[in-house]
Amino acid sequence: MDNSIFSQGLGVGYGKDNIVLDGLSFSINPGEIVCLIGANGAGKSTVLKTIVRQLKKLSGSIVINGLREDEMSEADVAKHVSMVMTERIHPELMSCYDVVATGRFPYTGRLGILTDGDKAAIEQALSLVGAEKTAYKDFSKISDGQRQRIMLARAICQDTEVMVLDEPTSFLDLQYKLDILKVIKKMAKTKNMAVLMSIHELEFVPGIADKVIGIVKNGVYLTGTPKEVLTGENIQKMYGMSLDNSNILCLGLWKYADAIVELLECQK
Amino acid sequence: MIAILILCFFVGMGVGSADVSILDIIKSLLSPGDVYMGKIIISIRLPRVIAAIVLGGALSVSGFLLQIFFGNPIAGPYVLGISSSAKLFVALFMVFLLGNGVTISSLFMVVAAFVGSLLAMGVVVALSQKVKNMSLLVVCGVMIGYICSAITEFVIAFADDTNIVNLHNWSLGSFSGINTTHVLISFVIVAIAIAFTIYFSKPISAFQLGENYARNMGVNIKRIRIVLVILSSILSATVTAFAGPISFVGVAVPHIMRGVMKTAKPLVMIPACFLGGSIITLICDCIARTAFAPTEISISAVTSVFLAPVVIYLLVARREVSRG
Repeated sequence: MDNSIFSQGLGVGYGKDNIVLDGLSFSINPGEIVCLIGANGAGKSTVLKTIVRQLKKLSGSIVINGLREDEMSEADVAKHVSMVMTERIHPELMSCYDVVATGRFPYTGRLGILTDGDKAAIEQALSLVGAEKTAYKDFSKISDGQRQRIMLARAICQDTEVMVLDEPTSFLDLQYKLDILKVIKKMAKTKNMAVLMSIHELEFVPGIADKVIGIVKNGVYLTGTPKEVLTGENIQKMYGMSLDNSNILCLGLWKYADAIVELLECQK
Repeated sequence: MIAILILCFFVGMGVGSADVSILDIIKSLLSPGDVYMGKIIISIRLPRVIAAIVLGGALSVSGFLLQIFFGNPIAGPYVLGISSSAKLFVALFMVFLLGNGVTISSLFMVVAAFVGSLLAMGVVVALSQKVKNMSLLVVCGVMIGYICSAITEFVIAFADDTNIVNLHNWSLGSFSGINTTHVLISFVIVAIAIAFTIYFSKPISAFQLGENYARNMGVNIKRIRIVLVILSSILSATVTAFAGPISFVGVAVPHIMRGVMKTAKPLVMIPACFLGGSIITLICDCIARTAFAPTEISISAVTSVFLAPVVIYLLVARREVSRG
Protein backbone atom coordinates (compact mmCIF):
# COMPACT_ATOMS: atom_id res chain seq x y z
CA MET A 1 0.00 0.00 0.00
CA ASP A 2 1.60 3.24 -0.99
CA ASN A 3 -0.92 5.60 0.51
CA SER A 4 -1.97 5.76 4.15
CA ILE A 5 -5.51 6.89 3.62
CA PHE A 6 -7.73 7.41 0.64
CA SER A 7 -11.38 8.01 0.15
CA GLN A 8 -13.60 7.37 -2.83
CA GLY A 9 -16.83 9.24 -3.44
CA LEU A 10 -17.15 10.16 0.24
CA GLY A 11 -20.44 11.81 1.18
CA VAL A 12 -20.58 13.66 4.49
CA GLY A 13 -23.26 15.56 6.36
CA TYR A 14 -25.78 15.36 9.13
CA GLY A 15 -28.30 12.78 7.96
CA LYS A 16 -29.80 12.22 4.52
CA ASP A 17 -31.58 15.58 4.44
CA ASN A 18 -28.48 17.57 5.24
CA ILE A 19 -25.70 16.45 2.95
CA VAL A 20 -22.80 18.87 3.23
CA LEU A 21 -20.42 17.44 0.65
CA ASP A 22 -20.76 14.52 -1.70
CA GLY A 23 -18.37 12.52 -3.82
CA LEU A 24 -15.12 13.58 -2.15
CA SER A 25 -12.13 11.56 -3.30
CA PHE A 26 -8.60 12.11 -2.07
CA SER A 27 -5.52 10.20 -1.04
CA ILE A 28 -2.68 11.01 1.31
CA ASN A 29 0.70 9.30 1.24
CA PRO A 30 2.83 8.61 4.31
CA GLY A 31 4.69 11.73 5.41
CA GLU A 32 2.44 13.97 3.37
CA ILE A 33 0.48 16.93 4.74
CA VAL A 34 -2.81 17.85 3.11
CA CYS A 35 -4.60 21.07 4.03
CA LEU A 36 -8.34 21.37 3.86
CA ILE A 37 -9.46 24.92 3.15
CA GLY A 38 -12.77 26.60 2.52
CA ALA A 39 -15.19 29.15 3.89
CA ASN A 40 -16.95 28.76 7.23
CA GLY A 41 -19.70 26.17 6.90
CA ALA A 42 -18.24 24.70 3.71
CA GLY A 43 -17.79 21.35 5.44
CA LYS A 44 -14.17 21.15 6.55
CA SER A 45 -14.96 19.97 10.06
CA THR A 46 -17.70 17.70 8.77
CA VAL A 47 -15.21 15.84 6.59
CA LEU A 48 -12.76 15.48 9.49
CA LYS A 49 -15.44 14.37 11.93
CA THR A 50 -16.56 11.72 9.49
CA ILE A 51 -13.05 10.34 9.17
CA VAL A 52 -12.67 10.01 12.95
CA ARG A 53 -16.18 8.54 13.11
CA GLN A 54 -17.86 11.27 15.12
CA LEU A 55 -20.31 11.39 12.23
CA LYS A 56 -21.55 8.52 10.11
CA LYS A 57 -20.46 8.75 6.52
CA LEU A 58 -23.38 8.93 4.12
CA SER A 59 -21.80 7.26 1.11
CA GLY A 60 -18.51 6.24 -0.43
CA SER A 61 -15.59 4.63 1.33
CA ILE A 62 -12.60 5.44 3.45
CA VAL A 63 -9.61 3.11 3.30
CA ILE A 64 -6.89 3.36 5.91
CA ASN A 65 -3.66 1.44 5.41
CA GLY A 66 -5.40 -0.91 3.03
CA LEU A 67 -8.30 -1.62 5.38
CA ARG A 68 -11.82 -0.36 4.84
CA GLU A 69 -12.71 1.85 7.78
CA ASP A 70 -16.26 0.52 8.10
CA GLU A 71 -14.90 -2.97 8.67
CA MET A 72 -12.69 -1.79 11.53
CA SER A 73 -13.73 -1.74 15.17
CA GLU A 74 -13.40 1.41 17.25
CA ALA A 75 -10.32 -0.04 18.91
CA ASP A 76 -8.75 -0.69 15.49
CA VAL A 77 -9.48 2.81 14.21
CA ALA A 78 -7.85 4.20 17.36
CA LYS A 79 -4.58 2.49 16.38
CA HIS A 80 -4.62 3.98 12.88
CA VAL A 81 -6.12 7.45 13.18
CA SER A 82 -5.40 10.05 15.85
CA MET A 83 -6.98 13.45 16.14
CA VAL A 84 -6.78 16.95 17.59
CA MET A 85 -10.15 18.65 17.37
CA THR A 86 -11.29 22.18 18.19
CA GLU A 87 -13.47 20.93 21.02
CA ARG A 88 -11.99 21.93 24.37
CA ILE A 89 -11.54 19.30 27.00
CA HIS A 90 -11.83 20.01 30.70
CA PRO A 91 -10.18 17.18 32.53
CA GLU A 92 -10.10 17.60 36.27
CA LEU A 93 -6.83 17.43 38.11
CA MET A 94 -4.91 15.93 35.24
CA SER A 95 -1.33 16.90 34.57
CA CYS A 96 -0.25 17.45 30.98
CA TYR A 97 1.62 14.17 31.24
CA ASP A 98 -1.63 12.39 32.13
CA VAL A 99 -3.40 13.95 29.16
CA VAL A 100 -0.63 12.89 26.79
CA ALA A 101 -0.66 9.43 28.35
CA THR A 102 -4.28 8.93 27.28
CA GLY A 103 -2.90 8.70 23.75
CA ARG A 104 -1.43 5.31 24.72
CA PHE A 105 -4.87 3.98 25.57
CA PRO A 106 -5.35 1.77 22.54
CA TYR A 107 -2.18 -0.08 23.50
CA THR A 108 -2.37 -0.45 27.26
CA GLY A 109 -3.96 -3.39 29.01
CA ARG A 110 -7.27 -3.75 30.76
CA LEU A 111 -6.40 -1.45 33.64
CA GLY A 112 -4.52 1.07 31.55
CA ILE A 113 -1.21 0.71 33.36
CA LEU A 114 1.67 2.26 31.40
CA THR A 115 4.62 0.06 30.48
CA ASP A 116 8.17 1.35 29.98
CA GLY A 117 7.52 1.35 26.25
CA ASP A 118 4.46 3.54 26.73
CA LYS A 119 6.41 5.92 28.93
CA ALA A 120 9.17 6.18 26.34
CA ALA A 121 6.58 7.00 23.66
CA ILE A 122 5.08 9.70 25.87
CA GLU A 123 8.49 11.25 26.60
CA GLN A 124 9.34 11.19 22.92
CA ALA A 125 6.07 12.86 21.96
CA LEU A 126 6.58 15.52 24.63
CA SER A 127 10.05 16.33 23.40
CA LEU A 128 8.90 16.39 19.77
CA VAL A 129 6.43 19.18 20.57
CA GLY A 130 8.93 20.81 22.94
CA ALA A 131 6.73 20.55 26.00
CA GLU A 132 8.99 18.65 28.40
CA LYS A 133 8.87 21.55 30.82
CA THR A 134 5.10 21.78 31.00
CA ALA A 135 4.61 18.03 31.45
CA TYR A 136 3.88 18.12 35.16
CA LYS A 137 1.71 21.24 35.20
CA ASP A 138 -2.05 21.01 35.63
CA PHE A 139 -3.63 20.84 32.18
CA SER A 140 -6.37 23.30 33.07
CA LYS A 141 -3.83 25.92 34.14
CA ILE A 142 -1.72 26.33 31.00
CA SER A 143 -2.14 28.70 28.06
CA ASP A 144 -4.05 27.86 24.88
CA GLY A 145 -0.83 27.61 22.94
CA GLN A 146 0.70 25.13 25.37
CA ARG A 147 -2.55 23.21 25.49
CA GLN A 148 -2.52 22.77 21.74
CA ARG A 149 1.00 21.36 21.93
CA ILE A 150 -0.04 18.91 24.60
CA MET A 151 -3.02 17.76 22.55
CA LEU A 152 -0.68 17.32 19.60
CA ALA A 153 1.70 15.27 21.76
CA ARG A 154 -1.26 13.17 22.85
CA ALA A 155 -2.09 12.41 19.23
CA ILE A 156 1.58 11.77 18.37
CA CYS A 157 2.07 9.13 21.04
CA GLN A 158 -1.07 7.37 19.83
CA ASP A 159 1.36 6.21 17.14
CA THR A 160 -0.95 6.15 14.14
CA GLU A 161 -0.38 6.28 10.39
CA VAL A 162 -2.95 9.02 9.94
CA MET A 163 -3.53 12.17 11.97
CA VAL A 164 -6.54 14.43 11.64
CA LEU A 165 -6.21 18.03 12.86
CA ASP A 166 -9.11 20.47 12.97
CA GLU A 167 -7.83 24.04 12.79
CA PRO A 168 -4.72 23.43 14.91
CA THR A 169 -3.61 27.06 14.49
CA SER A 170 -6.81 28.84 15.50
CA PHE A 171 -6.74 30.96 18.65
CA LEU A 172 -2.93 31.03 18.76
CA ASP A 173 -0.64 34.00 18.33
CA LEU A 174 1.65 34.23 15.33
CA GLN A 175 4.71 32.72 16.99
CA TYR A 176 2.71 29.78 18.37
CA LYS A 177 1.16 29.21 14.94
CA LEU A 178 4.58 28.99 13.38
CA ASP A 179 5.82 26.75 16.18
CA ILE A 180 2.94 24.32 15.95
CA LEU A 181 3.20 24.12 12.16
CA LYS A 182 6.89 23.41 12.48
CA VAL A 183 6.13 20.60 14.88
CA ILE A 184 3.49 19.16 12.56
CA LYS A 185 5.91 19.26 9.66
CA LYS A 186 8.67 17.61 11.64
CA MET A 187 6.27 15.00 12.94
CA ALA A 188 4.94 14.08 9.51
CA LYS A 189 8.49 13.58 8.29
CA THR A 190 10.03 11.71 11.22
CA LYS A 191 7.01 9.52 11.94
CA ASN A 192 6.10 9.14 8.28
CA MET A 193 2.58 10.11 9.10
CA ALA A 194 -0.19 11.16 6.74
CA VAL A 195 -1.71 14.39 8.01
CA LEU A 196 -5.05 15.90 7.06
CA MET A 197 -5.63 19.28 8.60
CA SER A 198 -8.14 22.05 8.16
CA ILE A 199 -6.86 25.60 8.32
CA HIS A 200 -8.28 29.08 7.88
CA GLU A 201 -5.05 31.00 7.44
CA LEU A 202 -4.30 30.59 3.74
CA GLU A 203 -0.93 32.32 4.15
CA PHE A 204 0.40 29.28 6.01
CA VAL A 205 -0.77 26.75 3.46
CA PRO A 206 2.17 26.93 1.00
CA GLY A 207 4.60 26.58 3.89
CA ILE A 208 3.07 23.43 5.27
CA ALA A 209 0.98 21.63 2.68
CA ASP A 210 2.05 19.15 0.05
CA LYS A 211 -1.46 19.11 -1.34
CA VAL A 212 -4.55 21.23 -0.84
CA ILE A 213 -8.22 20.34 -0.91
CA GLY A 214 -10.27 23.48 -1.36
CA ILE A 215 -13.97 23.14 -0.70
CA VAL A 216 -16.19 25.42 -2.71
CA LYS A 217 -19.78 25.82 -1.58
CA ASN A 218 -22.46 23.50 -2.94
CA GLY A 219 -20.30 20.45 -2.65
CA VAL A 220 -17.71 21.23 -5.31
CA TYR A 221 -14.08 20.89 -4.43
CA LEU A 222 -10.64 21.43 -5.93
CA THR A 223 -7.42 19.58 -5.30
CA GLY A 224 -3.84 20.25 -6.22
CA THR A 225 -0.61 21.74 -5.00
CA PRO A 226 -0.82 25.03 -3.08
CA LYS A 227 0.27 26.85 -6.28
CA GLU A 228 -2.57 25.28 -8.25
CA VAL A 229 -5.29 25.85 -5.69
CA LEU A 230 -4.40 29.25 -4.28
CA THR A 231 -5.19 31.40 -7.31
CA GLY A 232 -7.30 34.49 -7.56
CA GLU A 233 -9.94 32.61 -9.48
CA ASN A 234 -10.24 29.82 -6.91
CA ILE A 235 -10.31 32.19 -3.96
CA GLN A 236 -13.13 34.00 -5.70
CA LYS A 237 -15.05 30.73 -5.93
CA MET A 238 -14.34 29.51 -2.42
CA TYR A 239 -15.00 32.69 -0.51
CA GLY A 240 -17.56 34.31 -2.79
CA MET A 241 -15.72 37.57 -3.45
CA SER A 242 -15.29 39.53 -6.69
CA LEU A 243 -12.49 38.47 -9.03
CA ASP A 244 -10.77 41.85 -8.76
CA ASN A 245 -10.64 41.65 -5.00
CA SER A 246 -9.46 38.07 -4.91
CA ASN A 247 -6.69 38.81 -7.43
CA ILE A 248 -5.41 41.67 -5.28
CA LEU A 249 -5.64 39.47 -2.21
CA CYS A 250 -3.88 36.58 -3.89
CA LEU A 251 -0.92 38.74 -4.83
CA GLY A 252 -0.38 39.85 -1.25
CA LEU A 253 -1.10 36.39 0.07
CA TRP A 254 1.70 34.82 -1.89
CA LYS A 255 4.19 37.44 -0.74
CA TYR A 256 3.34 36.68 2.89
CA ALA A 257 3.21 32.97 2.20
CA ASP A 258 6.65 32.98 0.63
CA ALA A 259 8.04 34.66 3.72
CA ILE A 260 6.49 31.96 5.91
CA VAL A 261 7.80 29.20 3.63
CA GLU A 262 11.24 30.66 4.19
CA LEU A 263 10.74 30.81 7.95
CA LEU A 264 9.47 27.24 8.18
CA GLU A 265 12.23 25.95 5.94
CA CYS A 266 15.22 27.61 7.56
CA GLN A 267 14.42 26.94 11.24
CA LYS A 268 14.52 23.26 11.81
CA MET B 1 -6.87 5.64 54.89
CA ILE B 2 -7.46 2.01 55.71
CA ALA B 3 -6.04 2.77 59.16
CA ILE B 4 -8.59 5.54 59.64
CA LEU B 5 -11.31 3.13 58.56
CA ILE B 6 -10.21 0.55 61.11
CA LEU B 7 -10.13 3.19 63.80
CA CYS B 8 -13.62 4.32 62.84
CA PHE B 9 -14.72 0.70 62.84
CA PHE B 10 -13.83 0.36 66.51
CA VAL B 11 -15.31 3.71 67.39
CA GLY B 12 -18.48 2.69 65.57
CA MET B 13 -18.57 -0.57 67.46
CA GLY B 14 -17.91 1.15 70.77
CA VAL B 15 -20.37 4.01 70.83
CA GLY B 16 -24.03 3.50 71.47
CA SER B 17 -26.53 3.47 74.25
CA ALA B 18 -24.54 0.75 76.01
CA ASP B 19 -20.85 1.35 76.61
CA VAL B 20 -18.47 -1.23 75.29
CA SER B 21 -14.69 -1.20 75.67
CA ILE B 22 -12.34 -1.93 72.81
CA LEU B 23 -11.10 -5.01 74.59
CA ASP B 24 -14.65 -6.31 74.77
CA ILE B 25 -15.09 -5.75 71.07
CA ILE B 26 -12.01 -7.72 70.17
CA LYS B 27 -12.88 -10.49 72.59
CA SER B 28 -16.43 -10.80 71.36
CA LEU B 29 -15.33 -10.77 67.74
CA LEU B 30 -12.98 -13.65 68.43
CA SER B 31 -15.31 -15.67 70.60
CA PRO B 32 -18.82 -14.36 71.01
CA GLY B 33 -20.73 -15.66 73.96
CA ASP B 34 -17.80 -15.38 76.35
CA VAL B 35 -18.25 -11.70 76.89
CA TYR B 36 -21.14 -10.12 78.65
CA MET B 37 -21.88 -7.73 75.80
CA GLY B 38 -21.06 -10.25 73.07
CA LYS B 39 -24.55 -10.67 71.84
CA ILE B 40 -25.23 -6.98 71.37
CA ILE B 41 -21.96 -6.51 69.62
CA ILE B 42 -22.31 -9.37 67.19
CA SER B 43 -25.96 -9.17 66.33
CA ILE B 44 -26.66 -5.45 66.49
CA ARG B 45 -23.51 -3.39 66.29
CA LEU B 46 -21.49 -5.46 63.85
CA PRO B 47 -24.05 -5.65 61.04
CA ARG B 48 -24.75 -1.99 61.40
CA VAL B 49 -21.14 -0.93 61.23
CA ILE B 50 -20.36 -3.21 58.31
CA ALA B 51 -23.48 -1.96 56.52
CA ALA B 52 -22.33 1.62 56.97
CA ILE B 53 -18.94 0.71 55.55
CA VAL B 54 -20.24 -1.23 52.55
CA LEU B 55 -23.18 1.00 51.69
CA GLY B 56 -21.42 4.29 52.37
CA GLY B 57 -18.64 3.18 50.06
CA ALA B 58 -21.11 2.03 47.41
CA LEU B 59 -22.91 5.33 47.52
CA SER B 60 -19.84 7.43 46.90
CA VAL B 61 -18.58 5.21 44.09
CA SER B 62 -22.03 5.54 42.54
CA GLY B 63 -21.72 9.30 42.83
CA PHE B 64 -18.26 9.20 41.25
CA LEU B 65 -19.59 7.25 38.25
CA LEU B 66 -22.49 9.64 37.81
CA GLN B 67 -20.15 12.61 37.90
CA ILE B 68 -18.12 11.13 35.09
CA PHE B 69 -21.21 10.16 33.13
CA PHE B 70 -22.62 13.67 33.19
CA GLY B 71 -19.23 15.39 33.14
CA ASN B 72 -20.60 17.29 36.09
CA PRO B 73 -18.93 17.55 39.48
CA ILE B 74 -22.18 18.07 41.35
CA ALA B 75 -23.99 14.95 40.13
CA GLY B 76 -24.86 12.27 42.65
CA PRO B 77 -27.57 9.71 43.29
CA TYR B 78 -29.35 11.87 45.81
CA VAL B 79 -29.26 15.25 44.07
CA LEU B 80 -30.37 13.72 40.79
CA GLY B 81 -33.42 12.16 42.40
CA ILE B 82 -32.24 8.62 41.77
CA SER B 83 -32.23 7.62 45.44
CA SER B 84 -35.71 9.04 45.92
CA SER B 85 -37.09 7.21 42.93
CA ALA B 86 -35.59 3.97 44.21
CA LYS B 87 -37.20 4.70 47.56
CA LEU B 88 -40.57 5.22 45.92
CA PHE B 89 -40.42 1.87 44.19
CA VAL B 90 -39.36 0.03 47.30
CA ALA B 91 -42.20 1.66 49.21
CA LEU B 92 -44.69 0.74 46.50
CA PHE B 93 -43.60 -2.88 46.48
CA MET B 94 -43.50 -3.05 50.25
CA VAL B 95 -46.95 -1.64 50.78
CA PHE B 96 -48.81 -3.46 48.07
CA LEU B 97 -47.18 -6.83 48.49
CA LEU B 98 -47.23 -6.81 52.27
CA GLY B 99 -50.81 -5.61 52.07
CA ASN B 100 -51.65 -8.71 50.10
CA GLY B 101 -49.95 -10.95 52.59
CA VAL B 102 -46.84 -11.64 50.51
CA THR B 103 -43.56 -11.35 52.34
CA ILE B 104 -40.80 -9.93 50.24
CA SER B 105 -37.19 -10.93 50.40
CA SER B 106 -34.43 -8.37 50.65
CA LEU B 107 -33.16 -9.32 47.22
CA PHE B 108 -36.52 -8.35 45.87
CA MET B 109 -36.22 -4.97 47.53
CA VAL B 110 -32.94 -4.42 45.72
CA VAL B 111 -34.60 -5.28 42.42
CA ALA B 112 -37.42 -2.84 43.15
CA ALA B 113 -34.92 -0.14 44.05
CA PHE B 114 -32.94 -0.90 40.91
CA VAL B 115 -36.04 -0.48 38.74
CA GLY B 116 -36.71 2.84 40.44
CA SER B 117 -33.11 3.98 39.97
CA LEU B 118 -33.09 3.09 36.28
CA LEU B 119 -36.35 4.92 35.73
CA ALA B 120 -35.09 8.10 37.37
CA MET B 121 -31.81 7.72 35.52
CA GLY B 122 -33.73 7.50 32.25
CA VAL B 123 -35.59 10.71 33.00
CA VAL B 124 -32.41 12.52 34.03
CA VAL B 125 -30.52 11.33 30.94
CA ALA B 126 -33.40 12.51 28.74
CA LEU B 127 -33.33 15.87 30.51
CA SER B 128 -29.57 16.15 30.19
CA GLN B 129 -29.93 16.06 26.39
CA LYS B 130 -31.90 19.29 26.62
CA VAL B 131 -30.40 20.90 29.67
CA LYS B 132 -26.71 21.52 29.09
CA ASN B 133 -26.22 23.65 32.16
CA MET B 134 -25.15 21.45 35.03
CA SER B 135 -26.66 23.51 37.81
CA LEU B 136 -30.03 23.42 36.07
CA LEU B 137 -29.77 19.65 35.71
CA VAL B 138 -29.25 19.36 39.44
CA VAL B 139 -32.30 21.52 40.08
CA CYS B 140 -34.32 19.17 37.86
CA GLY B 141 -32.93 16.20 39.77
CA VAL B 142 -33.90 17.72 43.09
CA MET B 143 -37.41 18.29 41.73
CA ILE B 144 -37.64 14.66 40.65
CA GLY B 145 -36.55 13.76 44.15
CA TYR B 146 -39.34 15.87 45.65
CA ILE B 147 -41.96 14.36 43.34
CA CYS B 148 -40.89 10.86 44.32
CA SER B 149 -40.80 11.70 48.03
CA ALA B 150 -44.26 13.19 47.80
CA ILE B 151 -45.67 10.10 46.10
CA THR B 152 -43.95 7.97 48.73
CA GLU B 153 -45.88 9.93 51.36
CA PHE B 154 -49.12 9.09 49.57
CA VAL B 155 -48.17 5.45 49.48
CA ILE B 156 -47.41 5.47 53.18
CA ALA B 157 -50.83 6.96 53.82
CA PHE B 158 -52.36 3.82 52.32
CA ALA B 159 -50.15 1.46 54.26
CA ASP B 160 -51.21 -0.69 57.20
CA ASP B 161 -50.45 0.67 60.62
CA THR B 162 -47.77 -1.89 61.29
CA ASN B 163 -45.87 -1.02 58.17
CA ILE B 164 -46.02 2.68 58.62
CA VAL B 165 -43.51 2.93 61.41
CA ASN B 166 -40.99 0.77 59.60
CA LEU B 167 -41.49 2.49 56.33
CA HIS B 168 -41.27 5.91 57.79
CA ASN B 169 -38.03 5.25 59.62
CA TRP B 170 -36.53 3.71 56.57
CA SER B 171 -37.66 6.40 54.16
CA LEU B 172 -35.62 8.97 56.05
CA GLY B 173 -32.50 6.88 55.81
CA SER B 174 -31.18 4.80 58.66
CA PHE B 175 -28.93 1.86 59.33
CA SER B 176 -30.88 0.80 62.38
CA GLY B 177 -33.04 -1.96 60.89
CA ILE B 178 -30.22 -3.86 59.29
CA ASN B 179 -29.59 -7.53 60.08
CA THR B 180 -26.90 -9.99 59.11
CA THR B 181 -28.71 -11.28 56.01
CA HIS B 182 -29.07 -7.79 54.64
CA VAL B 183 -25.41 -7.13 55.20
CA LEU B 184 -24.45 -10.32 53.43
CA ILE B 185 -26.62 -9.62 50.40
CA SER B 186 -25.52 -6.02 50.09
CA PHE B 187 -21.89 -7.05 50.52
CA VAL B 188 -22.12 -9.51 47.65
CA ILE B 189 -23.89 -7.09 45.31
CA VAL B 190 -21.58 -4.21 46.11
CA ALA B 191 -18.45 -6.36 45.81
CA ILE B 192 -19.48 -7.54 42.35
CA ALA B 193 -20.43 -4.05 41.21
CA ILE B 194 -17.16 -2.56 42.48
CA ALA B 195 -15.17 -5.31 40.80
CA PHE B 196 -16.88 -4.46 37.50
CA THR B 197 -16.24 -0.77 38.05
CA ILE B 198 -12.53 -1.39 38.47
CA TYR B 199 -12.59 -3.68 35.44
CA PHE B 200 -14.01 -0.82 33.39
CA SER B 201 -11.82 1.87 34.94
CA LYS B 202 -9.80 2.37 31.78
CA PRO B 203 -12.68 3.27 29.43
CA ILE B 204 -14.15 5.29 32.30
CA SER B 205 -10.99 7.36 32.50
CA ALA B 206 -11.09 7.83 28.73
CA PHE B 207 -14.62 9.14 29.17
CA GLN B 208 -13.23 11.92 31.34
CA LEU B 209 -11.75 13.61 28.26
CA GLY B 210 -15.20 13.79 26.70
CA GLU B 211 -16.99 11.42 24.39
CA ASN B 212 -15.27 12.34 21.16
CA TYR B 213 -11.77 11.78 22.43
CA ALA B 214 -12.86 8.62 24.18
CA ARG B 215 -14.12 7.26 20.88
CA ASN B 216 -10.82 8.12 19.25
CA MET B 217 -9.09 6.12 22.00
CA GLY B 218 -10.96 3.06 20.84
CA VAL B 219 -13.72 3.11 23.44
CA ASN B 220 -17.14 1.83 22.50
CA ILE B 221 -19.15 4.84 23.64
CA LYS B 222 -22.56 3.22 23.66
CA ARG B 223 -21.38 0.30 25.72
CA ILE B 224 -19.56 2.39 28.29
CA ARG B 225 -22.56 4.67 28.72
CA ILE B 226 -24.77 1.67 29.47
CA VAL B 227 -22.16 0.24 31.82
CA LEU B 228 -21.96 3.53 33.72
CA VAL B 229 -25.73 3.81 34.06
CA ILE B 230 -26.20 0.24 35.22
CA LEU B 231 -23.32 0.19 37.67
CA SER B 232 -24.19 3.48 39.31
CA SER B 233 -27.85 2.46 39.50
CA ILE B 234 -27.08 -0.91 41.07
CA LEU B 235 -24.85 0.68 43.67
CA SER B 236 -27.26 3.39 44.71
CA ALA B 237 -30.23 0.99 44.52
CA THR B 238 -28.58 -1.40 46.96
CA VAL B 239 -27.98 1.40 49.38
CA THR B 240 -31.53 2.64 49.12
CA ALA B 241 -33.05 -0.80 49.50
CA PHE B 242 -31.33 -1.40 52.82
CA ALA B 243 -30.75 1.98 54.34
CA GLY B 244 -33.11 4.35 52.56
CA PRO B 245 -31.94 7.44 50.76
CA ILE B 246 -28.83 8.87 52.36
CA SER B 247 -28.28 12.38 51.25
CA PHE B 248 -25.21 14.05 49.74
CA VAL B 249 -22.62 11.32 50.41
CA GLY B 250 -22.58 10.51 46.68
CA VAL B 251 -21.91 14.10 45.65
CA ALA B 252 -19.57 15.29 48.31
CA VAL B 253 -17.27 12.34 48.95
CA PRO B 254 -15.82 12.06 45.40
CA HIS B 255 -15.10 15.75 45.54
CA ILE B 256 -13.40 15.54 48.92
CA MET B 257 -11.40 12.55 47.72
CA ARG B 258 -10.25 14.37 44.59
CA GLY B 259 -8.91 17.04 46.91
CA VAL B 260 -7.21 14.50 49.15
CA MET B 261 -5.74 12.30 46.44
CA LYS B 262 -4.93 15.20 44.06
CA THR B 263 -5.94 13.13 41.07
CA ALA B 264 -9.05 12.08 39.18
CA LYS B 265 -7.77 8.77 37.84
CA PRO B 266 -10.50 6.18 38.24
CA LEU B 267 -8.08 3.45 39.19
CA VAL B 268 -7.11 5.49 42.25
CA MET B 269 -10.42 7.21 42.78
CA ILE B 270 -12.67 4.16 42.90
CA PRO B 271 -11.02 2.59 45.96
CA ALA B 272 -10.44 6.04 47.45
CA CYS B 273 -14.10 6.96 47.08
CA PHE B 274 -15.14 3.66 48.55
CA LEU B 275 -12.96 4.10 51.63
CA GLY B 276 -13.80 7.77 51.99
CA GLY B 277 -17.51 7.04 51.71
CA SER B 278 -17.18 4.29 54.30
CA ILE B 279 -15.39 6.52 56.77
CA ILE B 280 -17.73 9.44 56.40
CA THR B 281 -20.87 7.33 56.56
CA LEU B 282 -19.58 5.48 59.60
CA ILE B 283 -18.81 8.72 61.40
CA CYS B 284 -22.18 10.17 60.49
CA ASP B 285 -23.91 7.01 61.67
CA CYS B 286 -22.14 7.24 65.02
CA ILE B 287 -23.27 10.81 65.37
CA ALA B 288 -26.82 9.85 64.39
CA ARG B 289 -26.85 7.22 67.11
CA THR B 290 -25.26 9.16 69.90
CA ALA B 291 -25.95 12.85 69.46
CA PHE B 292 -29.41 12.74 70.97
CA ALA B 293 -29.26 9.29 72.58
CA PRO B 294 -31.34 7.37 73.35
CA THR B 295 -33.37 8.92 70.51
CA GLU B 296 -31.84 8.16 67.18
CA ILE B 297 -31.86 10.72 64.41
CA SER B 298 -31.86 9.77 60.74
CA ILE B 299 -28.48 9.52 59.11
CA SER B 300 -29.58 11.83 56.32
CA ALA B 301 -30.02 14.57 58.87
CA VAL B 302 -26.37 14.20 59.85
CA THR B 303 -24.98 13.84 56.34
CA SER B 304 -27.00 16.84 55.17
CA VAL B 305 -25.63 19.07 57.88
CA PHE B 306 -22.03 18.15 57.10
CA LEU B 307 -22.07 17.55 53.38
CA ALA B 308 -24.67 19.91 51.93
CA PRO B 309 -22.30 22.88 52.50
CA VAL B 310 -19.75 21.06 50.34
CA VAL B 311 -22.33 20.87 47.56
CA ILE B 312 -23.08 24.58 47.89
CA TYR B 313 -19.38 25.28 47.66
CA LEU B 314 -19.19 23.18 44.49
CA LEU B 315 -22.11 25.04 42.93
CA VAL B 316 -20.54 28.39 43.59
CA ALA B 317 -16.88 27.64 42.97
CA ARG B 318 -16.99 25.33 39.99
CA ARG B 319 -19.40 27.24 37.83
CA GLU B 320 -17.02 27.88 35.01
CA VAL B 321 -15.85 24.29 34.67
CA SER B 322 -19.05 22.96 33.10
CA ARG B 323 -18.30 20.80 30.11
CA GLY B 324 -21.20 22.25 28.17
